[in-house]
Amino acid sequence: MTTTTGPAFASAPTVEVDDVSKWFGQKVAVSGISCSFGPGLTGLLGPNGAGKTTLLRMLTGLILPSQGEVLVKGQGPRTNVDRYREIGFVPEESALYGSLTGEEYVAYAARLSGIANPEQAARQAIETVALSDAKDRTVGGYSKGMRQRAKVAAALVHEPEILVLDEPLNGTDPVQRAHLINLFQELAGNGCTVIVSSHVLQEVERMTERVIAVVDGKLAAAGDISAIRRAMSDIPYRVAIDCDQPRRLGAALLDNETINSVSVETNRIHVETSDLAGLGKVIAGLARDIDTRLSRFSPEDESLESVFRYLVGRR
Amino acid sequence: MTAFIAITRVTIKQTLRLRRAIGLLLLSGSSAFTYLMAVIGSRGNFDFSNDNAFQAFAGITIGTFMNIVIPVVTLIIATSVLGDERRDNTMSFLVLRPIGRFNIALAKIFAAFVESFVVSGIGALALGLTVAIRIDDFSYVVPLLVGTAVATAAYSAVFVPLGYLLKRATLIGLSYVFIWENGIGGAVPAVAGISPWRIGLSATSGLAPERFLNELPTFATGSITAGAGGAVLKALVLTAASAALIALILRRRDLAN
Repeated sequence: MTTTTGPAFASAPTVEVDDVSKWFGQKVAVSGISCSFGPGLTGLLGPNGAGKTTLLRMLTGLILPSQGEVLVKGQGPRTNVDRYREIGFVPEESALYGSLTGEEYVAYAARLSGIANPEQAARQAIETVALSDAKDRTVGGYSKGMRQRAKVAAALVHEPEILVLDEPLNGTDPVQRAHLINLFQELAGNGCTVIVSSHVLQEVERMTERVIAVVDGKLAAAGDISAIRRAMSDIPYRVAIDCDQPRRLGAALLDNETINSVSVETNRIHVETSDLAGLGKVIAGLARDIDTRLSRFSPEDESLESVFRYLVGRR
Repeated sequence: MTAFIAITRVTIKQTLRLRRAIGLLLLSGSSAFTYLMAVIGSRGNFDFSNDNAFQAFAGITIGTFMNIVIPVVTLIIATSVLGDERRDNTMSFLVLRPIGRFNIALAKIFAAFVESFVVSGIGALALGLTVAIRIDDFSYVVPLLVGTAVATAAYSAVFVPLGYLLKRATLIGLSYVFIWENGIGGAVPAVAGISPWRIGLSATSGLAPERFLNELPTFATGSITAGAGGAVLKALVLTAASAALIALILRRRDLAN
């Protein structure tokens, strides 16, 4: 590994990615990514086409890096097939055997993984993803959400140490989503390395604080969401302030050199600043000076969505 | 062994769809049907003695069954056993498991063989029994079944990797059968020596009474050496080589786009 410190690297890594690139003909899908994943839940974030799926497939050994190296517990994922006892993978695409029932499908995964009692293990995994009611139906007739849960059950049935999930919440309804998020968090809490990719920012935000953001095949940022945001000091923060005299407060704020811009609505002003902490210190004094009452002071862009928007904008 | 059996079972279940099975069974039975029509049509029209009936059997065995029915049935089934995994994006499910790549390959070839043999075997049995009843001699039924099994095994070994590697595997497979095997193979002994249907025919000829080999239309077959042991060995070598090739591909190539 070239570098193993920094927010992109886990303290006790189980999966290490060292300067990995992948190109398909002329198209570069992943370019020089170095990071690592350890026990706990890490969100792999990026827009569609960012290279998340390619990166996850390289982590599992499904595709080989054009350059660089992926190590799973110190070995290349394809070095020894026994390594796959420790890896569970949920692909983004359907990946189902339509003629099998849900239970047969998961039991098939258990058999291929060398589980001693595949039927029992399958029933347990199906129960874990709350799919017991549909276990006797063929997976070809499943809804999208049921298919996702069946894939998760098949990935979990051999109790892997490393779980790689590519957009696992696609097509799930809110109840199923909440259930799966709880499940992933529980697994991560029990010491499993859980890597979840998503382009839906709220999903990742609900799941984890640790994020690796990939944009245009490159590592755009890593760390916890607010730290990523703070690291991008060249990009201004947006703050919404509700008050009864927005025009007067806006004018007063424009005199402050840390304020980049102000826009005014009926009872609200939106402020862009490069010094959020400084604004927090002066705002109360300014409000007192012009005799206005503040009813709300809140950063608008601490969500992943805005971080993500910035990252994409920086390309 | 559990994984091997599991892969075989699921592969057969996935690939043997009802409509396809009916179509392939009709194709498989077409040789027996042709023979039956020849028997019925001959009544009162011309001399269809036992000798002629036997020649018709040998002709139909070569003319339609061994070099059309078996390869086409096996082509359709065998190209789908790995090709469907790639098409349906289930490769990751299969390969991200603690199973040796050679075992996966062997299980896939075995599944293609079993499925193709069940379909072609029914056709072989129908043809063998129809002929046996007509000429009152059942000694050709088992040799025909064995030859069918050997040819099916050899074709499975050829077509399974083809189905994984090529998107137009059926078209390429048909070209292989009709241009390479039936065209060039008839003239070039080296090609004929590793032609799957000729390997099957060698097995049948080795087990059947000598008369069968003598009646074969050599203009179509080229030189056929009777011998079941050698034919089985060739089929096994082809299978091992094919499994090794697939295993190598699974180890070295990207298994998704």
